[in-house]
Amino acid sequence: MKKILSITLGILTAIGGFVDIGDLVANAATGARFKMALAGVVLIGVLGIIVYAEMSGRVAAITGRPVFDLVRERLGPNAGGANLIASFIINLLTLCAELGGVALALSMIASVNYILLIPVAAFLVWIVIWKMPFERMEEMFGLLGLMLITFLVALFHLHPPWHELLHSASHPAIPKNETPFTFAYYAIALFGAAMTPYEVFFFSSGAVEEKWTVDDLNLNRANVYIGFPLGGLLSLSIMALTTVVFAPRMISVDTLPQVALPVALSVGKVGLGLLIIGIFAATFGAALETAMSSGYCVAQYFGWQWGKFVKPREAARFHVVMLAAIVATTLFALTGVDPVKVTEYSIVLSAAALPLTYFPILLISNDRHYMGDHVNGRVLNFLASIYMVIIAVVAVVTIPLMIITKAGA
Amino acid sequence: MLSGLPCSVDCHRVRRFIRRLSLVLAVIALLGAMTRCVPHPVGTTRTYASYKGKATTTAEGAVSAARTVLLMTHTAAKRNAFSSYTAMVIADAEDGISGLIGTFDSVQPPNAEADRLHERLDTLLSSALTNVQALRVAARRGVVAELAGRAGPLRSDVHKLQAFVDAHQ
Repeated sequence: MKKILSITLGILTAIGGFVDIGDLVANAATGARFKMALAGVVLIGVLGIIVYAEMSGRVAAITGRPVFDLVRERLGPNAGGANLIASFIINLLTLCAELGGVALALSMIASVNYILLIPVAAFLVWIVIWKMPFERMEEMFGLLGLMLITFLVALFHLHPPWHELLHSASHPAIPKNETPFTFAYYAIALFGAAMTPYEVFFFSSGAVEEKWTVDDLNLNRANVYIGFPLGGLLSLSIMALTTVVFAPRMISVDTLPQVALPVALSVGKVGLGLLIIGIFAATFGAALETAMSSGYCVAQYFGWQWGKFVKPREAARFHVVMLAAIVATTLFALTGVDPVKVTEYSIVLSAAALPLTYFPILLISNDRHYMGDHVNGRVLNFLASIYMVIIAVVAVVTIPLMIITKAGA
Repeated sequence: MLSGLPCSVDCHRVRRFIRRLSLVLAVIALLGAMTRCVPHPVGTTRTYASYKGKATTTAEGAVSAARTVLLMTHTAAKRNAFSSYTAMVIADAEDGISGLIGTFDSVQPPNAEADRLHERLDTLLSSALTNVQALRVAARRGVVAELAGRAGPLRSDVHKLQAFVDAHQ
């Protein structure tokens, strides 16, 4: 049991990273519009995040220091500062969207307008960060997030035409009523969602919080190899569900509650209830991750004491940054801004900023000064280099595609 | 004008700045032109063809929202969803149709033919909105099992809107 619980960091990171509010809507929207044609992008994203999350976990286990700390030391204050600004802004946007997601999940049951529930969601996030130990937090929300497996159950229950889904995935084609630009835009959104920077910041800082050492390298691999593919599988099952239920009816997906409709249709109230718990846990987990990542990156850049492994009074500035991030994003969310739109922008902007996060990780994990004998092997470096090229291309084309497609209209 | 004269360091800087500015403007102009490749209900229109494109995109959006409501009522009729969830999905669809009407109404019809098209689509959209509103009110009153029975008028709206899309695509 202890061994199973030890991989909850990977599960929480992956569920927060892969099936937060943005991914839930992006995967569902993609399935409804393009069927399974973009499933390959999810697989490419899963492999990419596995490669880089493993590296960041290994760096944290060997050096005892999280990624952001080393980025500043290795690349200097200017490059580190650029990384900090980009990451912090994206974190704030994502946190705002996740608070909206938590409120929406609550309102699906509570019959109260979600705007009224945003302060409740923000307070819950803050109190959990303040009071709950890190391990308990990741176990609770990582395991509750597993309720999202309801998507997979609902898919099987619908008895979908598997060969058609497989054919659509293996022979990607742009539908007649779509343009190549929109197709490429959604591909980038899915890739950006899979490789969101806060995942590696949270994962590597979490590894330090859990005091990983060189003896925990297998635990790092288990977290990465189980957690992220699970997140990818859930993404694909959402895409497949909307391919089966929404695409034939030409229904496009624009809101979070819509995503749960195929599940209700397939497995009824019990399934819907479990799914809403899963959505709550996933968005809440992502809100915790982004709020904490905001604190992590600022505190680690400036060299302040950080982490939940010390008492709040010993890491006061770390907690103040998190609280300020929660308050600021709550106020922004209360303006009534659409959380789905906010998260779509944060995903695409994070795609544009990917090299700032992943290039330093590649450098540090190849530096014997930090890593000793645990530097990357040739195969890993080959894979990581291919991904670096993909990331660079994605970063260049993201903003132009966003303008051309009017954000995927 | 600068090319025929001997150039100082400042002159080279100015030329470099002009070249870069031209490149940036060219990229912006190209991106602006390429936005025309993607259909969208928002934006100005000067021709009937362009207006018709926006009308079709608007109608497609309304069909999607109305079909979501029909699927929701079907699911609710099988007692597969909570009333709070049902009301939320229908209310979101209502907001969607309402937003589409607002956006489409903000586009200036370029000629009399476009005026007629606008009137025809507006009638269809308004009818769909009224029928979705009625279902939302019923869902909030907790009569979710009867929603499918009350969805007949909306089903008719969907057929008409789909016919509109097919006729103008």
